[in-house]
Amino acid sequence: MIRMSNRIANFFNAKSFCVIGASTNLLKPGGVVAENFAKDFPGKLFLVNPRGGTHIFAGKEYTLYKSVLDIEEEIDAAIIIVPAKFAPQALEECGKKNIKNVIVTTGGFAEIGEEGVAIQNRMNDIMKTYNINIIGPNCLGLYSPVLGYDTMFLPVNKLKRPKPGNVSIFTQSGAFGAAFIDQLARLGSGNWIARFISYGNASDINEADCIEYLGDDEDTKMILVYLEDFKNGRKFMETLREVSLKKPVLGIKANRTEAGAKAGASHTAALSSDDAIVDDLLKEAGFQRVITWDELEDCVISFATQPLPKGNRVAIVTDGGGAGVMASDMVSDCKLQLAKFSPEIQKKLDETFPVYYSTTNPIDITGSANAKDYEKALEAVYEDPEVDAVVNICIPSIPNLDINEYIEITRKIASRKEKTFVTALIGGEEADYAYDVLLKEDFAVFKSPGSAIRAVGRLVEYANYLKKRGKNL
Amino acid sequence: MNVQIKEIFEKVKSENRKALLEHEAKEILRLLDLPLPPSKLVKTEEEAIMAFNEFNGPVAMKVMSPQVLHKTDEQAVKIGIATIEEVKKTFNDYMNRFAEREVVGILVEKMVEKGVELIIGSQIDKTFGPVILVGPGGIFVEALKDVVFRMCPCSKEQALSAIDEIKTQKLLNGFRGLAPVNREQLAEIMSKLSNLAWEYREYIGEMDINPLIANSNGIFPVDARIILK
Repeated sequence: MIRMSNRIANFFNAKSFCVIGASTNLLKPGGVVAENFAKDFPGKLFLVNPRGGTHIFAGKEYTLYKSVLDIEEEIDAAIIIVPAKFAPQALEECGKKNIKNVIVTTGGFAEIGEEGVAIQNRMNDIMKTYNINIIGPNCLGLYSPVLGYDTMFLPVNKLKRPKPGNVSIFTQSGAFGAAFIDQLARLGSGNWIARFISYGNASDINEADCIEYLGDDEDTKMILVYLEDFKNGRKFMETLREVSLKKPVLGIKANRTEAGAKAGASHTAALSSDDAIVDDLLKEAGFQRVITWDELEDCVISFATQPLPKGNRVAIVTDGGGAGVMASDMVSDCKLQLAKFSPEIQKKLDETFPVYYSTTNPIDITGSANAKDYEKALEAVYEDPEVDAVVNICIPSIPNLDINEYIEITRKIASRKEKTFVTALIGGEEADYAYDVLLKEDFAVFKSPGSAIRAVGRLVEYANYLKKRGKNL
Repeated sequence: MNVQIKEIFEKVKSENRKALLEHEAKEILRLLDLPLPPSKLVKTEEEAIMAFNEFNGPVAMKVMSPQVLHKTDEQAVKIGIATIEEVKKTFNDYMNRFAEREVVGILVEKMVEKGVELIIGSQIDKTFGPVILVGPGGIFVEALKDVVFRMCPCSKEQALSAIDEIKTQKLLNGFRGLAPVNREQLAEIMSKLSNLAWEYREYIGEMDINPLIANSNGIFPVDARIILK
């Protein structure tokens, strides 16, 4: 498909950037953004503040222009970060200055009612007159640590920034975006973000532009989404259908009410609740829909770190019978299958372990286990061609288990990345300790057998989708 | 666009009607090459008997009237008519009871052998435009809510994946001695109807093909409702 160069790319690729409303107070949004760009943006930076004069940002002195019209150089992109009532004038000046890409983070537009709608309509007219691409209003704008691009106006000591990685996010809600960015900054190594797009009221650029841009973006290996509604639903679904064949797309589509269905003349109308339709269309387009916020982190840690399983056959290794039973239940809930070990591997397991260990799947190396037993069992099933994913469950409170040795063994096998490998640590202090150590290194580690297997289930679901659509894994 | 299909919509519009009569909706399905049970729109008792004899088996008789839209509620549908006596009786009963209404004719239709009842329907969604659904049909359809949506137009592959997502798969796989549903054929019908809903989106507001009966001979639309925008 031939595409017009994506409009979001024009923002991220800007060689020069202007902050309109650059405050000298570093706690104010306009001050935060000016400081962010002064610190990290590799291109040319211009700052506009009606009071004029000069000010030092990130150790460098900048001229504060009274208007963008006073700047002689060309400007590729700008952010307007002034109160809503001054925004139309600022935008008009951008138009006159021939700035084609403008982020409007300020709130107080269509989302607040009639008065706001009037201002947003004026903005829309100006946008059309000057042919400007707009992100926003009422949003956080864009963030890309690798590009030194950060319009998130919350101070860095309050909203922590994740470091460069290969996950990209686009979100309709700025608050969701801020919270999740903050979460990712402290998840594992914190190396997660390729691009972040918060597009707010979507007066111009919307979810369809976002999925298209991130689908083509080479830094992006997985896409995380938060949506409440669609501005261009058909195009979004059609683009999503192509993009999900290249990289996993998952996230939340909130607003799951029964609204939309109407008692009508036809059964079809009565069955057509908004979410019934959305849910089916998202699934058909390859979207992994997550319902609760807490599962999102699990998805990041599994999709961003794990190879996709070739099939749905799971091997479980545990030192607790109960954990093994619960894990097995979850295996069937998630439409997975307990692997039947190949004869050689089964023989090896039988010969390795004492008779009171249960050597069939789920393997229970019991409370007598030590870390070496984990190593033998995990390595054996990892080698088995009949196994697509390995679930390593540990309750560390058993007497012979040295937790550091267990961590070392898990680290060694998990680093191979030839198969999906997830770990669940259950218990108190020692479990938390091992969990923290392994998570810091971005291994797929969870706090319950259920979450670990659910993560495998998600990966298998996506792998199955790709297979159905004719992709080789 | 098919000229004949367009003419049907234009005619209904010019008569200021919102809904197509069943025989008009079925005429559209016939023009799409869907396998409809044989039927005849008759105006006299003699014609009704002739149709009955021609079809050589039990028939259904339905009143076609723009003033009788909820046919079941008004007892304007009789099924399983197996003798000439019954044909006459039903015809005359309709003529008496609906004497005051504008009746276009009586639709005499060969009964479709029992099978799995399905629904395919379309409507215009405010976000996604024309969408189509498939699932177990019949009178319990709104209680079961086991339907799967696709955007129109949908390809045969997309239709097949929708059929695979129906929750009550047991019903499709040969339940209690019924023939398994031919998924390929069902997908083809769904794809054709999705093209109809897409191409004629300026006309069609809602469409219900319910029931669509799947038996060992094939899949047959037994009732069809098309409502204009």
